Amino acid sequence: MSEIDADVIDEIAGLELGSRLAELRRQRAEVFRHAQGSHDVLLLPQDAGGVSRAERAAIALRVALAAKDEKLAAHYRSLLRSAGGERLIAAVEHPSSGDASAKLAALLRHTDLVADAPRRATAADLRRLEALGLTSRDIVAVSQLVAFVSFQTRLLAGLRILQEEGA
Amino acid sequence: MSEKRFTLQPVEWKPWLELVDVATATPEQLAAIDAAPAGSHSSPYVLTLLHDLASLQERSPLFNSAMYAPRGLPRAERELSTVIASMVNGCIYCASVHSRRFADLTKKPETMQGLFDGGLEAELEPRLRAIADFAERLSRSPHRMTATDLAPLREAGLDDLQILDLIHATAMFANANRLMQTLGESVPPQES
Repeated sequence: MSEIDADVIDEIAGLELGSRLAELRRQRAEVFRHAQGSHDVLLLPQDAGGVSRAERAAIALRVALAAKDEKLAAHYRSLLRSAGGERLIAAVEHPSSGDASAKLAALLRHTDLVADAPRRATAADLRRLEALGLTSRDIVAVSQLVAFVSFQTRLLAGLRILQEEGA
Repeated sequence: MSEKRFTLQPVEWKPWLELVDVATATPEQLAAIDAAPAGSHSSPYVLTLLHDLASLQERSPLFNSAMYAPRGLPRAERELSTVIASMVNGCIYCASVHSRRFADLTKKPETMQGLFDGGLEAELEPRLRAIADFAERLSRSPHRMTATDLAPLREAGLDDLQILDLIHATAMFANANRLMQTLGESVPPQES
């Protein structure tokens, strides 16, 4: 059995250590390691810059919900609570509720654009984020985060059907 | 698909943010440039992603392993899956780069041209068709997939590791297509 501990993907997919699929994932050790590394630097950064850990978890939750991935959404809901963002959950889950600050509302709008309609993005979308005080680093981090959770939803779907196939 | 002009011709990418200046980059930033995927080292794309150093430092090895890890799914078939993802997501730049990689590896540019001319339903040999269909569904609607989506891959002879590689490559382009299209834009060659 390989000796790499469970990561977030194993936990969300429900892969037992030593199981066929857990071992399969460990044959691609670099993907395994850097998927977790990406998660950690994007969601739990040492220096969050202008997008807080709670805002990052809110963005990730939004992407998981839009992709209808309930297990991944539960993970990000939990991260959002840990980051002290309990009160943001309603704003993420019900965008029309009006509970979001102007900044969070703009971040979530941009999240939906990047996740669901990237081909419709324009330079003006980035200028709007800059007008709210976001730096280039913040904007890149938000795009990386939405793009990363979009990677996770595909990886999790693939693992889910491999599990179903083997069941 | 028809509004998108996918092409095997080289496509430029125009950034929407000011680039990190290589001349004043820190040693960590320079190392991250060197570690970026082949062919992209000092590209406007990498110099855009460099604004957030930590995420680039993780993403480059993730990308390289998804696309180039040895054994498993042949590289050309990973490239096919990324072209299909890029067509689904509308990324002209990504489709151009990776259709040319497929063509270089297989010497069959006509396979890619067929996809660009005929769309995702264009004729492909059975194994490539199975891979393309899987990549399309995983790109478009991952939550709707079921174990039956694996059957054509199994019939085509793919083993577990090859299927994992297909999932990784396709998922990586759910990522790449979103970065490419929301931090800048494709600039296709001028129509003659």
